[in-house]
Amino acid sequence: MKKNRSLFYPIFIFVVAQVAWFLVIGLWIARYLINNIIFEQVGDNISPQLISKQSNILALIGGLILMVSVSVAMALIFRHLTIQLKLTHMYDNFIANVTHELKSPLASIQLYLETLKARNVPAFKQHEFMGSMINDARRLQYLIEAILDISGLEQKKFVYNFQVVTAGPVFKQLVNEAATQFKLPEESITVSGSADYPCVIDRGAMRIVFNNLMDNAIKYSKTPTKIFLHLSRHPRHVAVDFADQGIGISHKDQKKIFHKFHRIYGNHIPSVKGTGLGLSWAKEIIKAHGGKIKVHSEGVGMGSTFTIELPIYQTAKKRYIKQLLRITKKSRGDTDEQE
Amino acid sequence: MSRNEFAGSRVLLVEDEEALAMGLEYNLTEEGYNVRMAADGKEAIDIFASVEFDLVILDIMLPYLDGFEVAKKMREKNPQIPILMLTARSGIKDRLRGLETGADDYMTKPFHLDEMLLRIQGMLRRKRWYRVKTDENPFYQIGKCTINFENLTCQSDKSEFQLTAREAILLKYLIENKDRIVSRQELLENVWHIHSEMETRTVDSFMARLRKYFEKDPKNPIYFKSVRGAGYMFREEGTRTQKRP
Repeated sequence: MKKNRSLFYPIFIFVVAQVAWFLVIGLWIARYLINNIIFEQVGDNISPQLISKQSNILALIGGLILMVSVSVAMALIFRHLTIQLKLTHMYDNFIANVTHELKSPLASIQLYLETLKARNVPAFKQHEFMGSMINDARRLQYLIEAILDISGLEQKKFVYNFQVVTAGPVFKQLVNEAATQFKLPEESITVSGSADYPCVIDRGAMRIVFNNLMDNAIKYSKTPTKIFLHLSRHPRHVAVDFADQGIGISHKDQKKIFHKFHRIYGNHIPSVKGTGLGLSWAKEIIKAHGGKIKVHSEGVGMGSTFTIELPIYQTAKKRYIKQLLRITKKSRGDTDEQE
Repeated sequence: MSRNEFAGSRVLLVEDEEALAMGLEYNLTEEGYNVRMAADGKEAIDIFASVEFDLVILDIMLPYLDGFEVAKKMREKNPQIPILMLTARSGIKDRLRGLETGADDYMTKPFHLDEMLLRIQGMLRRKRWYRVKTDENPFYQIGKCTINFENLTCQSDKSEFQLTAREAILLKYLIENKDRIVSRQELLENVWHIHSEMETRTVDSFMARLRKYFEKDPKNPIYFKSVRGAGYMFREEGTRTQKRP
Protein backbone atom coordinates (compact mmCIF):
# COMPACT_ATOMS: atom_id res chain seq x y z
CA MET A 1 0.00 0.00 0.00
CA LYS A 2 2.77 2.35 1.03
CA LYS A 3 4.72 1.39 -2.06
CA ASN A 4 1.73 2.11 -4.32
CA ARG A 5 1.27 5.54 -2.78
CA SER A 6 4.98 6.33 -3.16
CA LEU A 7 4.80 5.42 -6.87
CA PHE A 8 1.59 7.32 -7.56
CA TYR A 9 3.07 10.84 -7.54
CA PRO A 10 6.03 10.17 -9.87
CA ILE A 11 3.74 8.30 -12.32
CA PHE A 12 1.19 11.13 -12.18
CA ILE A 13 3.85 13.80 -12.75
CA PHE A 14 5.37 11.75 -15.58
CA VAL A 15 2.03 11.31 -17.35
CA VAL A 16 1.14 15.01 -16.97
CA ALA A 17 4.59 16.06 -18.20
CA GLN A 18 4.38 13.75 -21.22
CA VAL A 19 0.86 14.96 -22.12
CA ALA A 20 2.03 18.58 -21.81
CA TRP A 21 5.04 17.83 -23.94
CA PHE A 22 3.01 16.17 -26.71
CA LEU A 23 0.67 19.20 -26.66
CA VAL A 24 3.70 21.42 -27.22
CA ILE A 25 4.74 19.19 -30.15
CA GLY A 26 1.18 19.41 -31.53
CA LEU A 27 1.20 23.21 -31.19
CA TRP A 28 4.59 23.35 -32.85
CA ILE A 29 3.30 21.36 -35.87
CA ALA A 30 0.07 23.42 -36.00
CA ARG A 31 2.05 26.65 -35.88
CA TYR A 32 4.25 25.44 -38.70
CA LEU A 33 1.27 24.44 -40.87
CA ILE A 34 -0.63 27.74 -40.22
CA ASN A 35 2.47 29.84 -40.91
CA ASN A 36 3.11 27.83 -44.03
CA ILE A 37 -0.42 28.42 -45.33
CA ILE A 38 -0.21 32.17 -44.55
CA PHE A 39 3.15 32.43 -46.26
CA GLU A 40 1.87 30.57 -49.30
CA GLN A 41 -1.18 32.85 -49.53
CA VAL A 42 0.36 36.23 -48.81
CA GLY A 43 4.11 35.75 -48.91
CA ASP A 44 4.39 36.19 -52.71
CA ASN A 45 2.67 39.57 -52.45
CA ILE A 46 4.93 40.84 -49.67
CA SER A 47 8.32 39.47 -50.61
CA PRO A 48 8.96 36.29 -52.65
CA GLN A 49 12.45 35.93 -51.02
CA LEU A 50 10.85 35.25 -47.65
CA ILE A 51 9.56 31.85 -48.73
CA SER A 52 12.17 29.18 -48.61
CA LYS A 53 10.52 25.73 -48.24
CA GLN A 54 13.76 23.95 -47.41
CA SER A 55 14.68 26.09 -44.39
CA ASN A 56 11.09 25.84 -43.02
CA ILE A 57 11.12 22.03 -43.21
CA LEU A 58 14.56 21.96 -41.56
CA ALA A 59 13.22 24.11 -38.72
CA LEU A 60 10.22 21.78 -38.31
CA ILE A 61 12.36 18.64 -38.30
CA GLY A 62 14.93 20.23 -35.97
CA GLY A 63 12.21 21.30 -33.55
CA LEU A 64 10.58 17.88 -33.63
CA ILE A 65 13.89 16.08 -33.01
CA LEU A 66 14.56 18.39 -30.06
CA MET A 67 11.13 17.82 -28.56
CA VAL A 68 11.19 14.04 -29.04
CA SER A 69 14.68 13.96 -27.48
CA VAL A 70 13.39 15.84 -24.43
CA SER A 71 10.48 13.41 -24.22
CA VAL A 72 12.82 10.39 -24.37
CA ALA A 73 15.06 12.01 -21.75
CA MET A 74 12.04 12.48 -19.50
CA ALA A 75 11.11 8.82 -19.95
CA LEU A 76 14.68 7.79 -19.03
CA ILE A 77 14.69 10.02 -15.95
CA PHE A 78 11.35 8.54 -14.90
CA ARG A 79 12.71 5.01 -15.36
CA HIS A 80 15.72 5.79 -13.18
CA LEU A 81 13.48 7.39 -10.59
CA THR A 82 11.27 4.30 -10.33
CA ILE A 83 14.37 2.09 -10.02
CA GLN A 84 15.62 4.41 -7.27
CA LEU A 85 12.28 4.18 -5.46
CA LYS A 86 12.36 0.39 -5.67
CA LEU A 87 15.92 0.35 -4.32
CA THR A 88 14.92 2.63 -1.45
CA HIS A 89 12.06 0.29 -0.58
CA MET A 90 14.39 -2.71 -0.69
CA TYR A 91 16.98 -0.84 1.37
CA ASP A 92 14.35 -0.09 4.04
CA ASN A 93 13.54 -3.80 4.18
CA PHE A 94 17.24 -4.57 4.41
CA ILE A 95 17.68 -2.20 7.37
CA ALA A 96 14.68 -3.79 9.11
CA ASN A 97 16.11 -7.28 8.50
CA VAL A 98 19.63 -6.36 9.60
CA THR A 99 18.22 -4.68 12.71
CA HIS A 100 16.37 -7.89 13.52
CA GLU A 101 19.43 -10.04 12.83
CA LEU A 102 21.68 -7.83 14.98
CA LYS A 103 19.32 -7.18 17.87
CA SER A 104 18.00 -10.72 18.36
CA PRO A 105 21.35 -12.33 19.31
CA LEU A 106 22.25 -9.21 21.30
CA ALA A 107 18.98 -9.45 23.24
CA SER A 108 19.68 -13.11 23.93
CA ILE A 109 23.22 -12.41 25.20
CA GLN A 110 21.97 -9.57 27.42
CA LEU A 111 19.16 -11.74 28.80
CA TYR A 112 21.55 -14.56 29.74
CA LEU A 113 24.06 -12.16 31.33
CA GLU A 114 21.35 -10.45 33.40
CA THR A 115 19.96 -13.86 34.38
CA LEU A 116 23.39 -15.03 35.55
CA LYS A 117 23.80 -11.80 37.53
CA ALA A 118 20.37 -11.83 39.15
CA ARG A 119 19.76 -15.51 39.87
CA ASN A 120 21.45 -18.51 41.41
CA VAL A 121 21.71 -20.51 38.20
CA PRO A 122 22.75 -24.18 38.64
CA ALA A 123 26.11 -25.13 37.09
CA PHE A 124 24.65 -27.26 34.26
CA LYS A 125 22.34 -24.38 33.25
CA GLN A 126 25.22 -21.93 33.40
CA HIS A 127 27.07 -24.14 30.94
CA GLU A 128 24.02 -24.18 28.65
CA PHE A 129 23.71 -20.39 28.85
CA MET A 130 27.39 -19.92 28.01
CA GLY A 131 26.96 -22.14 24.94
CA SER A 132 24.01 -20.04 23.76
CA MET A 133 25.92 -16.81 24.30
CA ILE A 134 28.92 -18.11 22.34
CA ASN A 135 26.60 -19.15 19.48
CA ASP A 136 24.94 -15.72 19.45
CA ALA A 137 28.29 -13.94 19.55
CA ARG A 138 29.37 -16.07 16.55
CA ARG A 139 26.17 -15.18 14.74
CA LEU A 140 26.84 -11.49 15.32
CA GLN A 141 30.42 -11.86 14.17
CA TYR A 142 29.34 -13.69 11.00
CA LEU A 143 26.76 -11.03 10.16
CA ILE A 144 29.15 -8.12 10.74
CA GLU A 145 31.85 -9.83 8.65
CA ALA A 146 29.31 -10.51 5.89
CA ILE A 147 28.26 -6.86 5.71
CA LEU A 148 31.89 -5.70 5.66
CA ASP A 149 32.91 -8.31 3.06
CA ILE A 150 30.02 -7.42 0.77
CA SER A 151 30.95 -3.79 1.04
CA GLY A 152 34.55 -4.81 0.13
CA LEU A 153 33.29 -6.82 -2.86
CA GLU A 154 31.43 -3.79 -4.18
CA GLN A 155 34.41 -1.54 -3.84
CA LYS A 156 36.66 -4.24 -5.40
CA LYS A 157 38.69 -4.31 -2.17
CA PHE A 158 37.98 -7.95 -1.35
CA VAL A 159 41.27 -9.88 -1.48
CA TYR A 160 40.90 -13.33 -3.02
CA ASN A 161 43.31 -16.16 -2.51
CA PHE A 162 42.90 -18.17 -5.72
CA GLN A 163 44.63 -21.51 -6.08
CA VAL A 164 44.52 -24.29 -8.63
CA VAL A 165 42.79 -27.23 -6.91
CA THR A 166 40.84 -30.34 -7.92
CA ALA A 167 37.24 -29.14 -7.89
CA GLY A 168 35.29 -32.31 -6.93
CA PRO A 169 36.94 -33.10 -3.57
CA VAL A 170 36.95 -29.40 -2.59
CA PHE A 171 33.20 -29.09 -3.27
CA LYS A 172 32.47 -32.27 -1.27
CA GLN A 173 34.63 -31.12 1.62
CA LEU A 174 33.03 -27.66 1.73
CA VAL A 175 29.50 -29.10 1.68
CA ASN A 176 30.41 -31.51 4.52
CA GLU A 177 31.88 -28.63 6.52
CA ALA A 178 28.73 -26.55 5.96
CA ALA A 179 26.58 -29.50 7.09
CA THR A 180 28.63 -29.81 10.29
CA GLN A 181 28.36 -26.08 10.93
CA PHE A 182 24.56 -26.10 10.52
CA LYS A 183 24.22 -29.37 12.48
CA LEU A 184 22.82 -31.33 9.54
CA PRO A 185 23.39 -35.11 10.01
CA GLU A 186 26.02 -36.63 7.72
CA GLU A 187 23.49 -39.10 6.24
CA SER A 188 21.41 -36.17 4.96
CA ILE A 189 23.97 -35.52 2.23
CA THR A 190 24.00 -37.65 -0.93
CA VAL A 191 26.82 -37.15 -3.42
CA SER A 192 26.80 -38.42 -7.02
CA GLY A 193 28.97 -37.94 -10.12
CA SER A 194 32.52 -36.63 -10.17
CA ALA A 195 34.39 -33.54 -11.26
CA ASP A 196 38.03 -34.30 -10.55
CA TYR A 197 39.39 -31.54 -12.74
CA PRO A 198 41.56 -28.56 -11.87
CA CYS A 199 39.81 -25.26 -11.24
CA VAL A 200 40.90 -21.93 -9.85
CA ILE A 201 39.19 -21.62 -6.49
CA ASP A 202 39.44 -19.45 -3.40
CA ARG A 203 38.56 -22.03 -0.78
CA GLY A 204 37.56 -19.42 1.86
CA ALA A 205 35.25 -17.55 -0.51
CA MET A 206 33.75 -20.80 -1.84
CA ARG A 207 33.05 -21.86 1.78
CA ILE A 208 30.90 -18.72 2.10
CA VAL A 209 28.93 -19.77 -1.00
CA PHE A 210 28.20 -23.29 0.27
CA ASN A 211 27.44 -22.02 3.80
CA ASN A 212 24.87 -19.67 2.30
CA LEU A 213 23.30 -22.43 0.19
CA MET A 214 23.20 -24.77 3.20
CA ASP A 215 21.76 -22.07 5.48
CA ASN A 216 19.01 -21.31 2.94
CA ALA A 217 18.25 -25.02 2.37
CA ILE A 218 17.70 -25.51 6.13
CA LYS A 219 15.86 -22.23 6.73
CA TYR A 220 13.45 -22.72 3.86
CA SER A 221 12.49 -26.32 4.59
CA LYS A 222 9.49 -27.18 6.75
CA THR A 223 10.94 -30.57 7.71
CA PRO A 224 14.63 -31.56 8.01
CA THR A 225 15.92 -31.49 4.45
CA LYS A 226 18.21 -33.80 2.52
CA ILE A 227 20.89 -32.35 0.27
CA PHE A 228 21.71 -33.94 -3.08
CA LEU A 229 25.08 -32.93 -4.50
CA HIS A 230 25.74 -33.85 -8.10
CA LEU A 231 29.10 -33.20 -9.76
CA SER A 232 29.60 -33.24 -13.52
CA ARG A 233 32.13 -32.31 -16.18
CA HIS A 234 31.38 -30.35 -19.32
CA PRO A 235 33.73 -29.48 -22.22
CA ARG A 236 34.95 -26.22 -20.68
CA HIS A 237 33.63 -26.22 -17.13
CA VAL A 238 32.72 -28.35 -14.13
CA ALA A 239 29.26 -28.07 -12.60
CA VAL A 240 27.94 -28.80 -9.12
CA ASP A 241 24.20 -29.12 -8.51
CA PHE A 242 23.12 -28.42 -4.93
CA ALA A 243 19.53 -29.64 -4.53
CA ASP A 244 17.33 -29.45 -1.43
CA GLN A 245 13.81 -30.60 -0.52
CA GLY A 246 12.72 -27.18 0.71
CA ILE A 247 9.71 -25.03 -0.07
CA GLY A 248 10.98 -24.20 -3.57
CA ILE A 249 10.95 -20.88 -5.39
CA SER A 250 8.27 -19.54 -7.73
CA HIS A 251 9.35 -18.84 -11.35
CA LYS A 252 8.89 -15.12 -10.78
CA ASP A 253 11.19 -15.09 -7.74
CA GLN A 254 13.83 -17.25 -9.42
CA LYS A 255 14.78 -14.25 -11.54
CA LYS A 256 15.17 -12.00 -8.54
CA ILE A 257 16.71 -14.04 -5.73
CA PHE A 258 20.28 -13.11 -6.69
CA HIS A 259 19.44 -9.40 -6.51
CA LYS A 260 20.84 -7.59 -3.52
CA PHE A 261 18.38 -7.10 -0.61
CA HIS A 262 15.75 -9.26 -2.34
CA ARG A 263 13.78 -11.49 0.03
CA ILE A 264 10.71 -13.60 -0.49
CA TYR A 265 7.86 -12.86 1.89
CA GLY A 266 4.67 -14.81 2.43
CA ASN A 267 2.71 -17.05 4.73
CA HIS A 268 4.40 -20.17 3.32
CA ILE A 269 7.91 -19.07 4.42
CA PRO A 270 9.06 -21.11 7.43
CA SER A 271 11.77 -18.62 8.53
CA VAL A 272 12.10 -14.87 8.84
CA LYS A 273 15.83 -14.86 9.51
CA GLY A 274 18.17 -13.37 6.93
CA THR A 275 19.24 -10.10 5.38
CA GLY A 276 18.66 -10.57 1.64
CA LEU A 277 22.41 -10.42 1.01
CA GLY A 278 23.48 -14.10 1.02
CA LEU A 279 22.73 -15.10 -2.58
CA SER A 280 23.87 -11.80 -4.05
CA TRP A 281 27.12 -12.33 -2.14
CA ALA A 282 27.40 -15.89 -3.48
CA LYS A 283 26.82 -14.66 -7.02
CA GLU A 284 29.54 -12.00 -6.72
CA ILE A 285 32.00 -14.63 -5.47
CA ILE A 286 31.21 -17.07 -8.29
CA LYS A 287 31.45 -14.23 -10.82
CA ALA A 288 34.90 -13.36 -9.48
CA HIS A 289 35.86 -17.02 -10.13
CA GLY A 290 34.85 -16.58 -13.78
CA GLY A 291 31.87 -18.89 -13.22
CA LYS A 292 28.09 -18.81 -13.06
CA ILE A 293 25.45 -19.62 -10.45
CA LYS A 294 21.82 -20.27 -11.34
CA VAL A 295 18.74 -21.68 -9.69
CA HIS A 296 16.06 -24.06 -10.85
CA SER A 297 12.86 -24.96 -9.07
CA GLU A 298 9.67 -26.54 -10.37
CA GLY A 299 7.84 -24.06 -8.15
CA VAL A 300 6.62 -23.56 -4.60
CA GLY A 301 6.81 -26.77 -2.56
CA MET A 302 9.03 -28.55 -5.11
CA GLY A 303 12.54 -27.96 -3.70
CA SER A 304 15.32 -25.94 -5.31
CA THR A 305 18.51 -26.76 -7.19
CA PHE A 306 21.39 -24.31 -7.34
CA THR A 307 23.95 -24.97 -10.06
CA ILE A 308 27.48 -23.58 -9.87
CA GLU A 309 29.67 -23.71 -12.97
CA LEU A 310 33.40 -23.05 -12.77
CA PRO A 311 35.79 -22.98 -15.76
CA ILE A 312 38.30 -25.82 -15.94
CA TYR A 313 41.88 -24.62 -15.61
CA GLN A 314 43.83 -24.81 -18.93
CA THR A 315 40.65 -25.55 -20.89
CA ALA A 316 38.62 -22.41 -20.74
CA LYS A 317 39.10 -18.69 -20.29
CA LYS A 318 42.87 -19.15 -20.00
CA ARG A 319 43.63 -15.47 -19.95
CA TYR A 320 41.01 -14.75 -17.34
CA ILE A 321 42.18 -17.54 -15.07
CA LYS A 322 45.80 -16.45 -15.36
CA GLN A 323 44.68 -12.97 -14.46
CA LEU A 324 42.93 -14.30 -11.33
CA LEU A 325 46.10 -16.10 -10.26
CA ARG A 326 48.18 -12.97 -10.96
CA ILE A 327 45.82 -10.91 -8.77
CA THR A 328 46.24 -13.39 -5.92
CA LYS A 329 50.02 -13.39 -6.29
CA LYS A 330 50.11 -9.61 -6.33
CA SER A 331 47.78 -9.13 -3.36
CA ARG A 332 49.68 -11.75 -1.36
CA GLY A 333 52.93 -10.02 -2.25
CA ASP A 334 51.47 -6.72 -0.99
CA THR A 335 50.39 -8.39 2.24
CA ASP A 336 53.85 -9.95 2.71
CA GLU A 337 55.48 -6.58 2.15
CA GLN A 338 53.15 -4.97 4.68
CA GLU A 339 54.00 -7.68 7.19
CA MET B 1 14.18 -11.57 42.82
CA SER B 2 11.12 -10.90 45.01
CA ARG B 3 8.16 -13.22 45.55
CA ASN B 4 5.66 -13.02 42.72
CA GLU B 5 2.00 -12.45 43.62
CA PHE B 6 0.99 -13.71 40.16
CA ALA B 7 2.85 -17.03 40.38
CA GLY B 8 0.87 -19.75 38.65
CA SER B 9 -0.39 -17.47 35.84
CA ARG B 10 -0.33 -19.13 32.42
CA VAL B 11 1.92 -17.43 29.88
CA LEU B 12 2.16 -18.20 26.17
CA LEU B 13 5.62 -17.30 24.87
CA VAL B 14 5.77 -16.88 21.07
CA GLU B 15 9.37 -16.44 19.91
CA ASP B 16 11.19 -18.00 16.94
CA GLU B 17 14.70 -17.22 18.23
CA GLU B 18 15.49 -20.44 20.05
CA ALA B 19 18.16 -19.04 22.39
CA LEU B 20 16.03 -16.06 23.42
CA ALA B 21 12.97 -18.27 23.92
CA MET B 22 14.90 -20.67 26.18
CA GLY B 23 16.30 -17.79 28.25
CA LEU B 24 12.86 -16.24 28.66
CA GLU B 25 11.25 -19.55 29.53
CA TYR B 26 13.86 -20.16 32.24
CA ASN B 27 13.26 -16.74 33.81
CA LEU B 28 9.47 -16.89 33.61
CA THR B 29 9.45 -20.38 35.12
CA GLU B 30 11.75 -19.18 37.91
CA GLU B 31 9.21 -16.41 38.57
CA GLY B 32 6.53 -19.04 39.05
CA TYR B 33 4.65 -18.71 35.76
CA ASN B 34 3.41 -21.72 33.79
CA VAL B 35 5.01 -21.22 30.40
CA ARG B 36 4.02 -22.73 27.08
CA MET B 37 6.18 -21.97 24.03
CA ALA B 38 5.38 -21.53 20.32
CA ALA B 39 8.01 -21.01 17.62
CA ASP B 40 5.83 -19.57 14.84
CA GLY B 41 2.57 -17.74 14.22
CA LYS B 42 0.54 -20.82 13.20
CA GLU B 43 1.61 -22.84 16.22
CA ALA B 44 0.77 -19.88 18.50
CA ILE B 45 -2.77 -19.63 17.10
CA ASP B 46 -3.29 -23.40 17.41
CA ILE B 47 -2.14 -23.48 21.05
CA PHE B 48 -4.15 -20.35 21.90
CA ALA B 49 -7.28 -21.92 20.46
CA SER B 50 -7.06 -24.93 22.77
CA VAL B 51 -5.59 -23.58 26.02
CA GLU B 52 -6.59 -20.67 28.30
CA PHE B 53 -3.82 -18.17 29.04
CA ASP B 54 -3.48 -15.15 31.33
CA LEU B 55 -0.90 -13.36 29.20
CA VAL B 56 0.87 -13.65 25.84
CA ILE B 57 4.44 -12.57 25.05
CA LEU B 58 4.60 -12.18 21.30
CA ASP B 59 7.51 -11.54 18.93
CA ILE B 60 6.56 -9.57 15.78
CA MET B 61 8.83 -11.12 13.12
CA LEU B 62 7.55 -14.70 13.08
CA PRO B 63 7.39 -17.39 10.40
CA TYR B 64 4.03 -18.03 8.63
CA LEU B 65 2.01 -15.32 10.44
CA ASP B 66 3.58 -12.18 11.85
CA GLY B 67 2.93 -10.92 15.37
CA PHE B 68 0.37 -8.33 14.22
CA GLU B 69 -1.80 -10.99 12.56
CA VAL B 70 -1.39 -13.34 15.52
CA ALA B 71 -2.46 -10.57 17.95
CA LYS B 72 -5.51 -9.83 15.80
CA LYS B 73 -6.59 -13.47 15.74
CA MET B 74 -6.02 -13.85 19.48
CA ARG B 75 -8.11 -10.73 20.14
CA GLU B 76 -10.96 -12.25 18.11
CA LYS B 77 -11.03 -15.21 20.48
CA ASN B 78 -10.29 -13.33 23.70
CA PRO B 79 -10.53 -9.50 23.53
CA GLN B 80 -9.19 -9.07 27.06
CA ILE B 81 -6.03 -11.18 26.85
CA PRO B 82 -3.00 -9.00 27.75
CA ILE B 83 -0.39 -9.10 24.97
CA LEU B 84 3.21 -7.96 25.39
CA MET B 85 4.92 -7.48 22.03
CA LEU B 86 8.64 -8.03 21.74
CA THR B 87 10.41 -6.72 18.70
CA ALA B 88 13.69 -5.56 17.24
CA ARG B 89 11.91 -2.68 15.52
CA SER B 90 11.99 0.50 17.54
CA GLY B 91 10.46 2.97 15.06
CA ILE B 92 7.48 5.02 16.26
CA LYS B 93 5.36 3.66 13.36
CA ASP B 94 5.99 0.08 14.47
CA ARG B 95 5.19 0.95 18.09
CA LEU B 96 1.92 2.57 17.08
CA ARG B 97 1.01 -0.30 14.76
CA GLY B 98 1.73 -2.76 17.56
CA LEU B 99 -0.47 -0.86 20.00
CA GLU B 100 -3.20 -0.36 17.40
CA THR B 101 -3.37 -4.04 16.48
CA GLY B 102 -4.05 -4.87 20.08
CA ALA B 103 -0.76 -5.09 21.94
CA ASP B 104 -1.09 -3.89 25.52
CA ASP B 105 2.59 -3.22 25.84
CA TYR B 106 5.57 -3.08 23.56
CA MET B 107 9.25 -3.78 24.33
CA THR B 108 12.17 -3.45 21.97
CA LYS B 109 15.08 -5.86 21.86
CA PRO B 110 17.47 -5.86 23.62
CA PHE B 111 15.51 -5.36 26.84
CA HIS B 112 16.26 -5.48 30.55
CA LEU B 113 15.06 -8.60 32.33
CA ASP B 114 13.87 -6.69 35.44
CA GLU B 115 11.88 -4.24 33.36
CA MET B 116 10.20 -7.01 31.41
CA LEU B 117 9.22 -8.93 34.54
CA LEU B 118 7.81 -5.75 36.09
CA ARG B 119 5.80 -5.01 32.96
CA ILE B 120 4.37 -8.53 32.97
CA GLN B 121 3.30 -8.09 36.59
CA GLY B 122 1.82 -4.70 35.73
CA MET B 123 -0.22 -6.22 32.91
CA LEU B 124 -1.50 -9.04 35.13
CA ARG B 125 -2.37 -6.54 37.88
CA ARG B 126 -4.26 -4.41 35.35
CA LYS B 127 -6.11 -7.46 34.12
CA ARG B 128 -7.18 -8.33 37.67
CA TRP B 129 -8.28 -4.71 38.39
CA TYR B 130 -10.20 -4.62 35.12
CA ARG B 131 -11.88 -7.95 35.92
CA VAL B 132 -13.07 -6.68 39.32
CA LYS B 133 -14.32 -3.36 37.92
CA THR B 134 -16.04 -5.05 34.98
CA ASP B 135 -17.87 -7.46 37.29
CA GLU B 136 -19.15 -4.43 39.24
CA ASN B 137 -20.25 -2.46 36.17
CA PRO B 138 -20.14 -4.43 32.94
CA PHE B 139 -22.02 -1.79 30.87
CA TYR B 140 -21.69 1.94 30.50
CA GLN B 141 -23.29 4.47 28.24
CA ILE B 142 -21.64 7.49 26.68
CA GLY B 143 -24.06 9.50 24.54
CA LYS B 144 -25.81 7.02 22.30
CA CYS B 145 -23.05 4.48 22.60
CA THR B 146 -23.33 1.51 24.98
CA ILE B 147 -20.02 0.00 25.99
CA ASN B 148 -19.83 -3.65 26.95
CA PHE B 149 -16.65 -4.01 29.02
CA GLU B 150 -16.80 -7.80 28.90
CA ASN B 151 -16.51 -8.30 25.17
CA LEU B 152 -15.13 -4.79 24.53
CA THR B 153 -17.82 -3.81 22.04
CA CYS B 154 -19.53 -0.44 21.61
CA GLN B 155 -23.05 -0.42 20.26
CA SER B 156 -24.62 2.74 18.87
CA ASP B 157 -27.77 3.35 16.79
CA LYS B 158 -25.86 3.03 13.56
CA SER B 159 -22.96 0.71 14.18
CA GLU B 160 -21.02 -1.60 16.44
CA PHE B 161 -17.27 -1.47 16.87
CA GLN B 162 -14.59 -3.14 18.92
CA LEU B 163 -12.32 -1.51 21.49
CA THR B 164 -8.81 -2.78 22.09
CA ALA B 165 -8.00 -4.02 25.58
CA ARG B 166 -5.89 -0.93 26.26
CA GLU B 167 -8.63 1.45 25.11
CA ALA B 168 -11.09 -0.33 27.37
CA ILE B 169 -8.79 -0.10 30.39
CA LEU B 170 -8.14 3.60 29.73
CA LEU B 171 -11.86 4.22 29.38
CA LYS B 172 -12.61 2.28 32.55
CA TYR B 173 -9.96 4.24 34.45
CA LEU B 174 -11.33 7.57 33.23
CA ILE B 175 -14.88 6.53 34.16
CA GLU B 176 -13.70 5.43 37.62
CA ASN B 177 -12.14 8.88 38.04
CA LYS B 178 -14.87 10.93 36.39
CA ASP B 179 -15.04 14.69 37.03
CA ARG B 180 -11.44 14.62 38.29
CA ILE B 181 -8.39 15.85 36.40
CA VAL B 182 -6.01 13.01 35.68
CA SER B 183 -2.51 13.83 34.48
CA ARG B 184 -0.80 12.06 31.61
CA GLN B 185 1.78 10.70 34.07
CA GLU B 186 -1.01 9.27 36.24
CA LEU B 187 -2.53 7.57 33.21
CA LEU B 188 0.84 6.21 32.14
CA GLU B 189 1.48 4.82 35.59
CA ASN B 190 -1.94 3.32 36.17
CA VAL B 191 -3.05 2.30 32.71
CA TRP B 192 0.26 1.58 31.00
CA HIS B 193 2.35 0.99 34.13
CA ILE B 194 5.18 3.01 32.62
CA HIS B 195 7.13 5.52 34.68
CA SER B 196 8.32 7.84 31.95
CA GLU B 197 7.99 11.46 30.95
CA MET B 198 8.85 10.49 27.39
CA GLU B 199 5.74 8.50 26.50
CA THR B 200 3.05 11.13 27.09
CA ARG B 201 2.35 11.24 23.33
CA THR B 202 1.05 7.67 23.62
CA VAL B 203 -1.65 8.92 26.03
CA ASP B 204 -2.57 11.73 23.64
CA SER B 205 -2.91 9.33 20.71
CA PHE B 206 -5.23 7.05 22.74
CA MET B 207 -7.32 10.02 23.93
CA ALA B 208 -7.65 11.16 20.32
CA ARG B 209 -9.01 7.72 19.47
CA LEU B 210 -11.55 7.77 22.31
CA ARG B 211 -12.75 11.19 21.13
CA LYS B 212 -13.07 9.88 17.60
CA TYR B 213 -15.23 7.02 18.87
CA PHE B 214 -17.50 8.90 21.28
CA GLU B 215 -17.51 12.61 20.51
CA LYS B 216 -19.80 14.16 17.91
CA ASP B 217 -17.15 16.81 17.26
CA PRO B 218 -13.74 15.48 18.39
CA LYS B 219 -12.27 19.00 18.14
CA ASN B 220 -14.79 20.32 20.69
CA PRO B 221 -15.12 17.39 23.10
CA ILE B 222 -17.95 17.15 25.63
CA TYR B 223 -16.87 14.01 27.47
CA PHE B 224 -13.08 13.76 27.13
CA LYS B 225 -11.91 17.26 27.99
CA SER B 226 -8.33 18.52 27.92
CA VAL B 227 -7.23 20.63 30.87
CA ARG B 228 -4.36 22.82 29.73
CA GLY B 229 -1.12 22.00 31.53
CA ALA B 230 -2.83 19.44 33.79
CA GLY B 231 -4.12 16.49 31.77
CA TYR B 232 -7.56 15.15 30.94
CA MET B 233 -10.95 15.00 32.62
CA PHE B 234 -13.87 12.71 31.83
CA ARG B 235 -17.24 14.49 32.28
CA GLU B 236 -20.27 12.32 32.78
CA GLU B 237 -22.57 14.99 31.34
CA GLY B 238 -25.28 13.13 29.44
CA THR B 239 -23.96 9.70 30.39
CA ARG B 240 -25.29 7.11 32.81
CA THR B 241 -24.46 3.64 34.04
CA GLN B 242 -26.66 0.75 33.00
CA LYS B 243 -27.52 -2.31 34.97
CA ARG B 244 -26.77 -5.76 33.57
CA PRO B 245 -29.78 -6.81 31.46
